[in-house]
Amino acid sequence: MTLLSVTDLCVTLDTPDGPAPILQDVSFELAAGQSLGIVGESGCGKSMTALALMGLLPAQARVAGEIEFEGENLLALPEAQLCNIRGRRLAMVFQEPMTALNPVKTIGFQVAEGLRWHLGLSRGAAEARAVKLLARVGLPQPRFSPDLYPHQLSGGQRQRVVIAMALACEPALLIADEPTTALDVTSQAAILDLLAEVTEAAGLALLLITHDLAVVWQNTARMLVMYAGRVVERGATPAVFERMAHPYTRGLFAASPGALEAALPAGRRLATIPGQVPDPRHRPAGCVFAGRCPRVQDDCLPAQPAERALDAAHGVACLHPCLEEEGVP
Amino acid sequence: MALFLLQRLTALVVTLLVASLVVFLVMEVLPGDPAAVMLGINARPDTLAALRQQMGLDLPAAQRYVLWLGGLASGDLGTSYTYGVSVWELVRERLGLSLPLALIAICLSTALAIPLGVLAAARRGRAADAGVMGFTQLGIAIPNFWFAILLILLFGVHWQILPAGGFAGWEAGAWPALKTLILPAVALALPQAAILARVTRSSVLETLGEDFVRTARAKGLTRSAALWRHAVRNALIPVVTIMGLQFSFLLAGTIIIENVFYLPGLGRLVFQAIAQHDLIVVKDLVMLLAAAVVVVNFLVDLAYAVIDPRLRGGRSYE
Repeated sequence: MTLLSVTDLCVTLDTPDGPAPILQDVSFELAAGQSLGIVGESGCGKSMTALALMGLLPAQARVAGEIEFEGENLLALPEAQLCNIRGRRLAMVFQEPMTALNPVKTIGFQVAEGLRWHLGLSRGAAEARAVKLLARVGLPQPRFSPDLYPHQLSGGQRQRVVIAMALACEPALLIADEPTTALDVTSQAAILDLLAEVTEAAGLALLLITHDLAVVWQNTARMLVMYAGRVVERGATPAVFERMAHPYTRGLFAASPGALEAALPAGRRLATIPGQVPDPRHRPAGCVFAGRCPRVQDDCLPAQPAERALDAAHGVACLHPCLEEEGVP
Repeated sequence: MALFLLQRLTALVVTLLVASLVVFLVMEVLPGDPAAVMLGINARPDTLAALRQQMGLDLPAAQRYVLWLGGLASGDLGTSYTYGVSVWELVRERLGLSLPLALIAICLSTALAIPLGVLAAARRGRAADAGVMGFTQLGIAIPNFWFAILLILLFGVHWQILPAGGFAGWEAGAWPALKTLILPAVALALPQAAILARVTRSSVLETLGEDFVRTARAKGLTRSAALWRHAVRNALIPVVTIMGLQFSFLLAGTIIIENVFYLPGLGRLVFQAIAQHDLIVVKDLVMLLAAAVVVVNFLVDLAYAVIDPRLRGGRSYE
């Protein structure tokens, strides 16, 4: 059953220099209990996609398209009904656990708050549930009292609190926006394991946003590759990794440290993608990646290439996709 | 928390001692011999010497400082030259007016400033914000003595709703006494509220951009719930700081306002004591006001710890 269906999502930011299209025609679907990864470099629109789903875009953003979640178009809902869905059916884990928690409230209060707000639980009942949730994410009593404040916990522990908060009302979809970027390597692995475990146990759909291909590989069944506000490649995670049809996906892979160990002999430098992401206000008419693409040809320049299916589980928005046997550059 | 309290208390005592030393030294270097002032310029030298001895003015300065401190600690503030009664008696009587006046003014200014500041922040760039900012601009620009006179003219003379000046005294009952304090308190509070509202607005605006406010919204809290439950308390630290600083301005303000409204308060007593060269009263009152400021700063430090748990110190689980 389709839980989330995003159709032609466009987000435009009004800037002093005119409108800047941040997201263009982003479409994807996510079934209940499934996992989807969104990968791309900084500024490609991953986090904006997450904020658009949550309805928490900055005030100067204009949204078009459709976000259907559990049968309702979130973009057409009034704010009061959105508040009713946020945190209850749709929850989010943020990138920066150091700042995502309120420094002057106890962790118990912050985990219990959603329960009291949405489910109308009494203070005592909500706090008892909060203690259980904290234990569930690996912060058991008595060492981790609900009366602790965020500053008394490490980054990894705080991210566990954020996850407990997100899980509190048993949502159907969890959006994790770079949940491990701010953490050290050991905490990263532990937090990803925790996310995988809790989403599987609760039958929760997971939308995992990251710039780290290894994270997508290990934690998602399907993935999207985004570049400059567009989806450039999509498919089942193994299929995308096997072929890497879009030149950008290949470049991203060649530039990621995880790939270094597997693909390059010791001592080789990491690859870089030449050039820069085009400014959202001055994007080219043709393929957004054309300016940096090693395979660019004349027909890439007039119009943005439409997405086409390579096979049932794999699509790419490129006129000259790479072939599997070409190998990683 | 205990360690925090101990540190703050030690700082409090040290500051008070330093303040007393400064007050004493300043009074020492001021020209004018209190005994000569009391007796007038035609006094005979032997009468003057006798009075100086009686007042302890012939003792070395260090000894007089210690005696004065001992007196302060034991509640014996000495005797006023001009009134002939103990300074403590004078102060106690005036405190019955000045303390309630200051408290009403602080409560009024806080009750006005914080909601206005939060409102302006929540409605940034809209009509309510512009209204609050305009009001605060006026409040800052208008001097409080002029505003006091305006209040007297409007409420005391034109509409005759409230007394134009003087103090009914608490013997007359709570309401008549309070009635005489309303206008002075408003005159004191308004300029302070204007500054405080601006500080509140900018502090709340800054806090609204914090990640944890977004987290609260992601939990499903409405904009206003996220504002009041998560942003406001975090925004209070600079507000409390300014309130502490404003307290000394409030004390200075009472000297002017009590004169405008003919209120027999501490501010007026300071004014009169200086005019009459009643140095012992001046010395004690300046010390008292300094102590009040130091104690208020101590309370501000405590308020920080109440607002922000990170300032309390304590266990860490990292």
